[in-house]
Amino acid sequence: MAGRSQHPVQIMENQTRFNLNAAVESWRQELAAQPNLASDDRRELETHLRDAVAGFQQRGLNDEESFWLARRRVGQPQQLGEEFVKADPAKVWRERAFWMAAGALTALFLFTTTMPLTAIIGYCFPSVGKIVDEPTLSIMLWVFQIIGITFLITRGNMNLQSPLLASLIKDRFHFAVMTISVLLAAETFCATIMFWVYVASRNVHGFNGGPFAYIGNFMFVSLALELVPVTILIWLLPAQNRKTPKRA
Amino acid sequence: MYKTAMLTKDLVAASSKPLLLSILAGGESYGYEIIQKVRELSGGQIEWSDGMLYPVLHRLERDGLIDSEWKEADTGRERKYYFLSSDGRKAIKTERQQWLAVHNTLCKLWKIKPASI
Repeated sequence: MAGRSQHPVQIMENQTRFNLNAAVESWRQELAAQPNLASDDRRELETHLRDAVAGFQQRGLNDEESFWLARRRVGQPQQLGEEFVKADPAKVWRERAFWMAAGALTALFLFTTTMPLTAIIGYCFPSVGKIVDEPTLSIMLWVFQIIGITFLITRGNMNLQSPLLASLIKDRFHFAVMTISVLLAAETFCATIMFWVYVASRNVHGFNGGPFAYIGNFMFVSLALELVPVTILIWLLPAQNRKTPKRA
Repeated sequence: MYKTAMLTKDLVAASSKPLLLSILAGGESYGYEIIQKVRELSGGQIEWSDGMLYPVLHRLERDGLIDSEWKEADTGRERKYYFLSSDGRKAIKTERQQWLAVHNTLCKLWKIKPASI
């Protein structure tokens, strides 16, 4: 921008320097407020906006002019939402169901990790057991975990659009293998901890089958529950990523 | 649906399918580039409003005429590229016959030579 001739208006504006990235970010939030736009649509529109901005910049316009012209070209977020929903009315609902299933899976998974946590706390701090009973402690821990994760996501410390997550949901096979092996590993770990803590505190809830029966039973119940959202997630994985598209 | 200087709304909507398919027949492309190409080829007579192109592309994709893929462009950012499927290639033939039928009929009525077949 330096060296370009500046109009009086521009000089005034430059005092509060125009931040292109911040402007794109606030535009993105406007789009996100549209219930009819799926995240893939928003991402596509954002790349379009950035391309349009770059096009105007190449013609010698400054950041601010380029942004506003590009924004006008792309159109009103509300109007975009209406047009997009006409093209594929079910798309937004598929996406919502996807995130609901993802939420359910997270909640179920956290419930599994809560159990060994409860067992460890009960074993290490027996005095806690006198204040709250075990089920109450479990639910408290579970709620704390959910609040903690929600807090991290809303603060932006946990990015839902991270490349790691994107690569995880790249295709169905990848997702199924990754998710189920992570779940199996976590379940085994949790069940083992729980079993040994209960053995150490001589409190195995009338379970006489030994560690493997105990661990197996725990894993079977948790996995059976978790497989429901996992199946929904596999089914709803975005169509265009399902396979490497064949070229004509 | 579209903002246009010359063509009527209905005509722009009807012609978007053969235009998009034929552009993609020349190789994969993305939204911004497609709009530039249409503007350039039509000498500015067909002006598609940017945001409205995507619903049309998505509809063609759902109909199986085109496919899409997110790919990293040379700028380092990812773009959603569209390309023709084998069904799309067949659809161009049908579109071509139909549009030429209209074109030829009008040419006969207006007693002008068909521009090109």
